[in-house]
Amino acid sequence: MKHRHLLPEEFDLLLDDEVGFGVAPLRDHLAGCADCRAQFDEARQVAVALEGLPHLAPTFGMADRVMAQVPVFVPWHVAARDTAVRWLPQSRPARVIVGGLMTVAGATLTAGVVWLASRGDLVAFATEVTATRVRPVVAGALQNGAVALLGPGVMESLEHGGLTELGVVASGFALAALASAFGLRAIAAAARRRN
Amino acid sequence: MPPALDLANLPDADVVALAKRGREAAYRELVRRYERPVFSLVYRMVRDRELAEDLAQDTFIKVLQHIDRYRPEFKFSSWLFKIANNVAIDHLRRRRISTVSMDGSPHAVTAEAVERTSFDVSVHEESALELLEAKELGTAIERAIAQLRPEYRACILLRHVEDKSYEEIAATLDLPLGTVKTYIHRARHELRALLEDVRQ
Repeated sequence: MKHRHLLPEEFDLLLDDEVGFGVAPLRDHLAGCADCRAQFDEARQVAVALEGLPHLAPTFGMADRVMAQVPVFVPWHVAARDTAVRWLPQSRPARVIVGGLMTVAGATLTAGVVWLASRGDLVAFATEVTATRVRPVVAGALQNGAVALLGPGVMESLEHGGLTELGVVASGFALAALASAFGLRAIAAAARRRN
Repeated sequence: MPPALDLANLPDADVVALAKRGREAAYRELVRRYERPVFSLVYRMVRDRELAEDLAQDTFIKVLQHIDRYRPEFKFSSWLFKIANNVAIDHLRRRRISTVSMDGSPHAVTAEAVERTSFDVSVHEESALELLEAKELGTAIERAIAQLRPEYRACILLRHVEDKSYEEIAATLDLPLGTVKTYIHRARHELRALLEDVRQ
């Protein structure tokens, strides 16, 4: 080390304040060699000047300008959690009460489901009885709705006719629904263009 | 309303995680935290304040629009500087820009253009002579940096202004470690030569 001057990469090691194995002899050489010392001081001066360069400030309001062009994406689970948090009361006692009520409701529901599961025959019987009573009521309501919508004449023709009449009426209904949907969409698009 | 967090004291990784969960305040915190470093890097690459503002803004827009692609095993600042550097290099490739000093672009022909392309170095609590010397050296360094090749410029700025390690610079600029060392060595050598007159 004493017989030669420092190599360029060795100056870099010293400039970067490396502390690894082999740096100590370089420092020793630097202490005893005026030429290398002068070169190192020169390089150090430039490095110090570079490190002293300030961070420059952009004009005020960059965050606002950036955010005006960046849509913030909220994942569905975060949105759901935020909504739930929003619904929760802020005060601790109120939260405790809500928590207690929810626990009672949950426990009751669980106990009910377990009881029903243990009484499968009773559930089947109750379902059958309910279905028997509800079916004619629902069928009657649907028929009344259809008569009100299509008129008694059409209903009579449908009852006496076959699948052809039913097909014609269903197609007419589908066409009317499609036309309404496209019409509403066109109106909405026109409104957006105006805005 | 989610609970308010002291974002300024959170590490980058946590702020990014909050941004990924759709917290607008986290987006703003990332811009606030890095607007100066990014603007400084881009400005020193392109040497035009107005253009640097636009490019820094583009950098943040790109980063925040693709925040979900950020991989936490890398430092956020490295990813951000990588995009800033790419934006600046892309611009330089499209339009060659040469040197501008702190006292304004040599191409500026009106007072307004000189004002627009110049900037101040904040030096506090110094005597008038020290201020003058610091400004002279600062101006000379800025001028010298502007004369480096863009690749050398990015490396030396990341090393000495942003205090990045060689490994981080290599990751940021997608360059082999050896290339980064070579670029920094050459940049230092060229800067020393360019600043010879000022130092004497």
